[in-house]
Amino acid sequence: MQSVENSFRIDPSFKYEVSAQSGGETLRQCFQCGKCEATCPIERFKNQYRPAQVIRAVMLGLREFALDSPTIWLCATCYSCSERCPQGVHFTDIMRVLRNMAVEQGKINPYYKKVAEAIVQYGKTFDSPDFINEMRGDLGLPPVTSLDRQEIAKIIDEVKTLKSKENQSKKVI
Amino acid sequence: MTEKPRIGVYICHCGLNIAATVDAKAVAEFAKTLPDVVVSKDYKYTCSDPGQEMIKKDVKEQKLNRVIVAACSPRMHEPTYRKLMEQAGLNPYLFEMVNIREQSSWVHMKEPAKATQKAKELVSMAVARSRLLEPLEVKEVPALKSVLVIGGGIAGIQSALDLAEQDYKVCLVERQPTIGGHMAQLDKTFPTMDCSICIFAPKMVDVAKNPNVTLLTNSEVQEVSGVAGNFHVKVLKKARFVNEKKCVGCGVCASKCPVKTPNEFDMNLGMRKAVYIPFPQGVPAIYTIDKEHCLYFTKGVCKLCEKFCEAKAIDYEQKDQIVELDVGAVIVATGFEPFDPSTLKEFQYGKYKNVVTSLDFERLISAFGPQEGKLLRPSDGKEPHRIAFIQCVGSRDERTGNIYCSNICCMSAIKQAVLIKEKHPEYEVYIFYNDIRAFGKGFEEFYQRARDLWVTFVKGIPAELTEDPETKNLTVRVVDLVLGKMVEVDLDMVILSIGMIPPKGIADLTRILRIPRGADGFLLETHPKLRPVDTPTMGVFLAGACQGPKDIPASVAQAKAAASGVASLLSKGKIRTESSIAVVNEDFCSGCRVCVSLCKYDAIKMEEKKGKQVASVSEITCMGCGVCASACPTKSISLRHFTDQQILAQIRALAPEASNCTGKTEPIKIQEEA
Repeated sequence: MQSVENSFRIDPSFKYEVSAQSGGETLRQCFQCGKCEATCPIERFKNQYRPAQVIRAVMLGLREFALDSPTIWLCATCYSCSERCPQGVHFTDIMRVLRNMAVEQGKINPYYKKVAEAIVQYGKTFDSPDFINEMRGDLGLPPVTSLDRQEIAKIIDEVKTLKSKENQSKKVI
Repeated sequence: MTEKPRIGVYICHCGLNIAATVDAKAVAEFAKTLPDVVVSKDYKYTCSDPGQEMIKKDVKEQKLNRVIVAACSPRMHEPTYRKLMEQAGLNPYLFEMVNIREQSSWVHMKEPAKATQKAKELVSMAVARSRLLEPLEVKEVPALKSVLVIGGGIAGIQSALDLAEQDYKVCLVERQPTIGGHMAQLDKTFPTMDCSICIFAPKMVDVAKNPNVTLLTNSEVQEVSGVAGNFHVKVLKKARFVNEKKCVGCGVCASKCPVKTPNEFDMNLGMRKAVYIPFPQGVPAIYTIDKEHCLYFTKGVCKLCEKFCEAKAIDYEQKDQIVELDVGAVIVATGFEPFDPSTLKEFQYGKYKNVVTSLDFERLISAFGPQEGKLLRPSDGKEPHRIAFIQCVGSRDERTGNIYCSNICCMSAIKQAVLIKEKHPEYEVYIFYNDIRAFGKGFEEFYQRARDLWVTFVKGIPAELTEDPETKNLTVRVVDLVLGKMVEVDLDMVILSIGMIPPKGIADLTRILRIPRGADGFLLETHPKLRPVDTPTMGVFLAGACQGPKDIPASVAQAKAAASGVASLLSKGKIRTESSIAVVNEDFCSGCRVCVSLCKYDAIKMEEKKGKQVASVSEITCMGCGVCASACPTKSISLRHFTDQQILAQIRALAPEASNCTGKTEPIKIQEEA
């Protein structure tokens, strides 16, 4: 979509696609006040983190700019921005929509992918190391029951099927 | 005046406006040392109710017969204190005002000691003058209960209706063949989306039918003389070559007329005949022959309109006429002119067919416009699926000289965008803006509605437009300032949101009515907050966009305010005249007529008196400017309230070394520098 002379061509349909997904409906009311950025705790640690810019790129139709943006993967889903937005734009939800769209295009942040793989493998984001059960024993607590991996594989398959019914999405992990 | 002067001096702090710079206490103490000063005080807000009460009490208890207030400009509060004088039983002309705010504290903020010294000097001058002030008789003259309204747009029509309802006789003068102005051209009005002509046409009919209103269309005001209460007006009523009494507005003439020419009312996007009414709802429904295009006038042939007119209303011999009126007040409602964007080359207006102005667009989408309400683009009559608005065209632009915001363009563009999106949700509509100013009632909600309809707002104004020579499609390059990225947008049509500029002829009007213009070129009100529809010429009021860009609600509000101003001035049927006018000492007058030629108010006539021709000043017409008094070679004219003695006393108080000024009739000799 990028054209000559460092200028971008825009894709007006992008905003409709985003807002058509659950969580994307509030997009259109953004009037670029920047409060979401000013309130964001992530922004304090990562200064290229620009939520308002992502919204702007969606509104204008810069599809690649939005879906390639590291911002969509850094959101900690704290909902501070949604809480403080004067126009009721639920940025956090829009980020989820954008992450899903990115994933559908095979664009996934490597760390997210690792987490997802851990869930498939262990049923949770990480496998419990042995010392945890030792500590639990010291405290008089029962050990963490290990999960039935077959059961988990079934659940995950069901989720994938549901997802594909809704969106015909490709398998990405 | 035999009574010994007893002067009260009041130094106002004006909150901190004066007191932060000028030592008001010190000035008050100093004033105590001046001759005939009986009371001298400083006070926080002299114009306040307790401040005025204090002065009234002092007048009574201290038997004051002169009052001086050192405060703001006399233009602000002299009328206030003159009224106070009358309440305290003193002649209003025994009041003297000293401006130590605009003329001292505000301009010498960084030099408080010098500012205080200047304030003292100004006060000592006032005391010197005050001692010589004389009471003047306050006169009233009959005022006419009739009004001239110049301009037949929404503001003029509203003022005329309001005054006619109060039984004032109104003459509404309009330059065009029909009334209506720009509001009649609009399709819908923001933010309520009322159909403009639907809410406006009944008003146009009402004003034309009102027995108290005389409509003079195709007419221009040429001359206004006299003063508030008694203006004399000459109006040029241009020939329309159709007898107004006979024409029934049937339109047969236009249907037979073979000449087609662009219709100005449709921004030249549609055609009209040489005999025409600018738009179907035009009031009065009387046809006009456009002499420049009529075949009979240009080539001496045709006369089809005359042949087919059953009412026998066509009159090729009709002549321009001068209509004379006497009115008590004037309301100026001459409106605005749309900015012509062809001077801004980057937008290619006039060159690229699919670049139109916001007013062109109103006509393009109007149900009674050239396309009968269908949104089609000019180059090929196709539906434009991608449309962009460019804001601030001609406004906020040093190059055009219009640094002001035109007020209406944000909402007008949003309205037009909403109109498009409501009819065609599948169209893409962009608004390239600099700031969105949605300040009025319901405006922000309207802006939200536009976003809800997916109008794309882009902060950034395109600097370049290119056209595909074949398709006539357009491409803009624009920086989205939030992203800091350059984007290119392909479009089918571009609408330039043009601003408002003062109308042609406004310079003539300022001369005719002796009213000023502001730096923006629009007519200037007396006070931006407290006298927003008044002008320095008493009896002349402003309404609508002639005073500055404004929308319909503001124009209507101002029109009502102007009507109310007229009513307050004229309702008593009499009006106070200014007593500070020129008087002639007939014994000394040599009849040289210098004063007659200099008086710009036409207030001096020569009269036979005491066996010779002498100058005679009209008490009603004289504005007290003093030009005649300063020019009179025999010193036989003096200006009441500003006599030579009073002025020279002031000068002596300021510069005691000017001792060769006797205060009588000798001119001041300026000492040569050593």
